[in-house]
Amino acid sequence: MLEGFGPLVRKDLRLELRSGESTVALVSLSLLILVVMVLAFGPGGARRAEVAAGALWVALIFAGTLGANQALLAERESGCIRGLLLSPLEPATIYAAKLAVAMIFMTEAGVAVLAVLVLFFNLEFGAALARLVPVFLLGALGLAALCTLLATVCGRVRAGAMLLPVLVVPLFTPALIAGCKASAALLAGQPIGAVTTWLKLLAAFDVLFVTAGYLLFEHVILED
Amino acid sequence: MEHFGYLFAAYSIIFIAIGLYAIFIGRRQARLDREVARLEAALRAAQQPAASPEQHQSGP
Amino acid sequence: MKGPVSIALAAASCLSMLAALFMVFVYVPTEAEQGIVQRIFYFHLPCAWVAFLAFGIVAVAGALYLWLGHRIWDDLSYASAELGMLFCTLVLITGSIWAKPIWGTWWTWDSRLTTTFILWLLYGGYLLLRALADDTDEIARFAAVLGIVGVLDVPIVIISVRLWRTIHPAVLLTRQGEHGLEDPRMVATLLVALGAFTMVFVWLLWLRLATLRLRTRVAALRKDVALLDLAGAHR
Repeated sequence: MLEGFGPLVRKDLRLELRSGESTVALVSLSLLILVVMVLAFGPGGARRAEVAAGALWVALIFAGTLGANQALLAERESGCIRGLLLSPLEPATIYAAKLAVAMIFMTEAGVAVLAVLVLFFNLEFGAALARLVPVFLLGALGLAALCTLLATVCGRVRAGAMLLPVLVVPLFTPALIAGCKASAALLAGQPIGAVTTWLKLLAAFDVLFVTAGYLLFEHVILED
Repeated sequence: MEHFGYLFAAYSIIFIAIGLYAIFIGRRQARLDREVARLEAALRAAQQPAASPEQHQSGP
Repeated sequence: MKGPVSIALAAASCLSMLAALFMVFVYVPTEAEQGIVQRIFYFHLPCAWVAFLAFGIVAVAGALYLWLGHRIWDDLSYASAELGMLFCTLVLITGSIWAKPIWGTWWTWDSRLTTTFILWLLYGGYLLLRALADDTDEIARFAAVLGIVGVLDVPIVIISVRLWRTIHPAVLLTRQGEHGLEDPRMVATLLVALGAFTMVFVWLLWLRLATLRLRTRVAALRKDVALLDLAGAHR
């Protein structure tokens, strides 16, 4: 069913290893967002955990949508997408591969953001941060699922790059609420048991949209 | 009759919005009707000269 | 616009709307706690119902378009999204006007308000896509997928927003009128208003669908004319 998945992922990763474009763009954009948040809210204060959680998710959303945009535009400009469609690969396999690559990039950016978050907001490297990892990964998976499905609009529509966040952010709000709340609680030092409701919500969101993307991708990727 | 203004505002906004939307549809429909008429006329005009020389050829 | 169906729909909409207005302003008793402002409810809730109905149709028509491939399903989902947006906007506006005298504020991040607002943003994005994009099959398929994904999102938005608000306890009271319609005349009025709004929705949908169908025809005619011109130039 997923024949060709491995080579597709490897192709994108090899391209990225050569140029490093996406990593640089994602990491620098998310760092800048963090700087803005620190300048706006200050690094300390009583609501430090909430502000840090908010900063993390704002960085994820904008870096994620921008990254997805960029990835698809590059595919289109090089004509690579046409080649993929001509190949005997299932569209769903292309979706799975693109999703995996997006996840890898977002995780990469996430590691950088989390590290800087600790420094900027005077948090501790420790258990609280480790507990944040599953929350972040679940959120990133949901975002990647939506972005990979909907980024196909870029290049077909005027101002498509602007349109993607406009479409993705409202759809992503449930995961955003869950992610922000869970991250804030964990950064404030609460145990993971305190946020199971939010984790379940994130997991349900992921299952729903990964499935939807997997099933619907063929309709959005085909060209006339 | 306290708060009558709020009640009046709410109901009038609903009817104004629906009315404006209906007008918007009506204008769009009228524009498209004109466009169809124009295109059909153009189509006929384009078919006429194309059709007549063929008739001449097949006539004699 | 002038067909028998649209005349019948227009007449039915006007009559049922007049009946609803009569019931709201003459027939129904004034609610004890909120006074006359509560009468906004009889038109506020039907707007919400129509908006939800419309967004549901967007997804169903989108799925049918993906399945059957006929352009009429795409036109239906486009028309329905536009109407859903119109009524969703009216829900937010009338809700705001109702909230001001009762809650003392135009807007609060109450769970229902937040959910409605998120839906408004979502379908605003959908219509922005339609406005920016050309009218091609690719875009129609994309819009269908977006409509389906949007409806899948609705339940999870509702759940998440509710959890978000219960963890932060709501500052304000919940709306009284929405739970206890103690008088049967209130229920009757609400039902008539629901019927009237559904009629208006069907009527406007019919009209909008007709213009969208005509748009498709214009595009086809333009193509024919261009082809003939090309053939003429060739000759």
